[in-house]
Amino acid sequence: MRALPADYELVAPRTLPDVLSLLAREPGAWLPIAGGTDVMVQYSAGKLLARKLVSIWNLPELRRIEVSADEIKIGAGCTYTDLREHKVIIREFSLLSSSASWTGGIANQNRGTIGGNIVNASPAADSLPALMVYGAELLLVSARGERRVPYANFHIGYRKTQLAPEELIRAICLKRQFSGYYAHARKVGARNAQAIAKVCLASLGHLVGGMVDDVRLAVGSVAPAPLRLSETERIIKGKPIDPQLMQLAKGAAAAEVRPIDDIRSSARYRAAVTANLVGEFLEQLNTYGARSENSQKVLARWNDLPPDKAAEEILPCCGSKAWASEMAAHRPILNEAALLAASDQDWNILPESDWLEAFRSHPRIGDLHAPASAPPQSAAWSSAEQQKVGAAGEDVKAALDAGNRDYEQKFNRIFIVCATGKSAPQILEILRRRLQNDEKTELHEAAEQQRQIAHLRLKKWLSS
Amino acid sequence: MSQSSQGRAKCEISFTVNGTLETVHVHAMDRLLDVLRHELGLIGTKEGCGEGECGSCSVLIDGMLVNSCLIPVLQANGTKVITIEGLATDGRLQVLQQAFLDCGGAQCGICTPGMILASLHLLKKTPQPTLDEIREGLSGNLCRCTGYMQIFDAVAEAAQRGATT
Repeated sequence: MRALPADYELVAPRTLPDVLSLLAREPGAWLPIAGGTDVMVQYSAGKLLARKLVSIWNLPELRRIEVSADEIKIGAGCTYTDLREHKVIIREFSLLSSSASWTGGIANQNRGTIGGNIVNASPAADSLPALMVYGAELLLVSARGERRVPYANFHIGYRKTQLAPEELIRAICLKRQFSGYYAHARKVGARNAQAIAKVCLASLGHLVGGMVDDVRLAVGSVAPAPLRLSETERIIKGKPIDPQLMQLAKGAAAAEVRPIDDIRSSARYRAAVTANLVGEFLEQLNTYGARSENSQKVLARWNDLPPDKAAEEILPCCGSKAWASEMAAHRPILNEAALLAASDQDWNILPESDWLEAFRSHPRIGDLHAPASAPPQSAAWSSAEQQKVGAAGEDVKAALDAGNRDYEQKFNRIFIVCATGKSAPQILEILRRRLQNDEKTELHEAAEQQRQIAHLRLKKWLSS
Repeated sequence: MSQSSQGRAKCEISFTVNGTLETVHVHAMDRLLDVLRHELGLIGTKEGCGEGECGSCSVLIDGMLVNSCLIPVLQANGTKVITIEGLATDGRLQVLQQAFLDCGGAQCGICTPGMILASLHLLKKTPQPTLDEIREGLSGNLCRCTGYMQIFDAVAEAAQRGATT
């Protein structure tokens, strides 16, 4: 039977201390409600036992993400959208941003919170395996003070947690120590959006000299609470990835899970999928290892060059001399993630004149000849990036040509777009839209495109 | 249910709906969806599943797409809400509405208001979305008539026409 609103009380204190003192006065009497994506479903179905609710939605103390040198502290009231859009999370904790991207749909991501997801304690929650492999700690708060507990011990059974009745999760703390790790998240369900997972995996791996130096695997939907595959990890650790290890690891993973048959899947299928997901992760980790070994060779050689030579070598990735010398000054750079981060940092603070210098190093879209001043490597990359444009029909090419000229007349520089993978009609559409921009908006849009081009070229350089 | 005979007191909620300041006398746990439909007569917002799965009750709160069936109205106090009724101006359809008409993006119409608000939210963030971005942006909105293709076409068409201007 549907709930009657008149049967329920809901209050919305303005500050966290007000909420905590309410919870302390009558422990267990008040149910906190944040974005409502779980509580309101129960309520509407007439299944909500609590009659008194306290809103913690949008409390500023819970909606912050604090980044320090060695830790990121994510407020428990942050939404999935907040996680998906935060730069440090995207870069260093991609398992969290990608699992956020397939939780619910956009509307639920705008309301559902990470803290709510933890407290709701569903064994199928998409983001919880990620917290497990990152070794998250939870900062719990009550009127009496704060305590930190490892997330790994927080779930003590099916839908049971360590949270005391008068406590809230204030923040989720993650150590920033995974920059050299390969991260892989995968959800298997009827579809990504709005479907509860049959199995979801979060995995991290680190290779040293071809051996698995560290591996962390956690799975959802296969046990009463999110499960760390400790035995499988133990088997993988310290070994090179080969067919024999893959077989062993898959067998261990299937044996380690404790799945059930339910409406979404069967226990046998879940165990088999878990094994396959672990296998898929190891395969990808192996490929990544081979690639990053090559990157490390390129970077090791480059790190030892004199500054002017180092700048000269990296210049074609961007085209701005100031950017190139800043990059050289950043050395030693040890891996791809650090290289891309350094590139963004240097690019974003350059004065306009240096941006313009980088723009000038590209050929006009549709012209296959780079400016004579561009280094040969830059010219070769430009023609590969514009490959799809070359295949366009004559009418589209003519329209691009006219658009380019309009653009040059209006903005007094060439039109910059990250052309890789884009067809001529798509580029034409973008060009026509950007022609409507004012000067300042357009300058930043062009700079963002150049930033993306630099990323692609840096990756190509690392694999050279 | 001895408690329910008496019931909790109602409270006053003030918020801006489609540009007009509204004050309603309701229960704090009334769903925003019901307040919009029953108190304010804005019946463009539809109820489908009533549990945040189908997106037909989508509205914007302070520019963010939400399922209004999952919002206790107290949490909408002081916000700015946009419903489908807030899109057309002076009897002229908004670009997305016109594109849905032109591309056959609406059939029975139950999902359409939610689809259009989800599309508006998408185009505000991503003015020139790829097909994958359109699919993701609308992944929380279910349609049982069109098979989605005409809806995706409509969003792409609106993007080309400049939907948020």
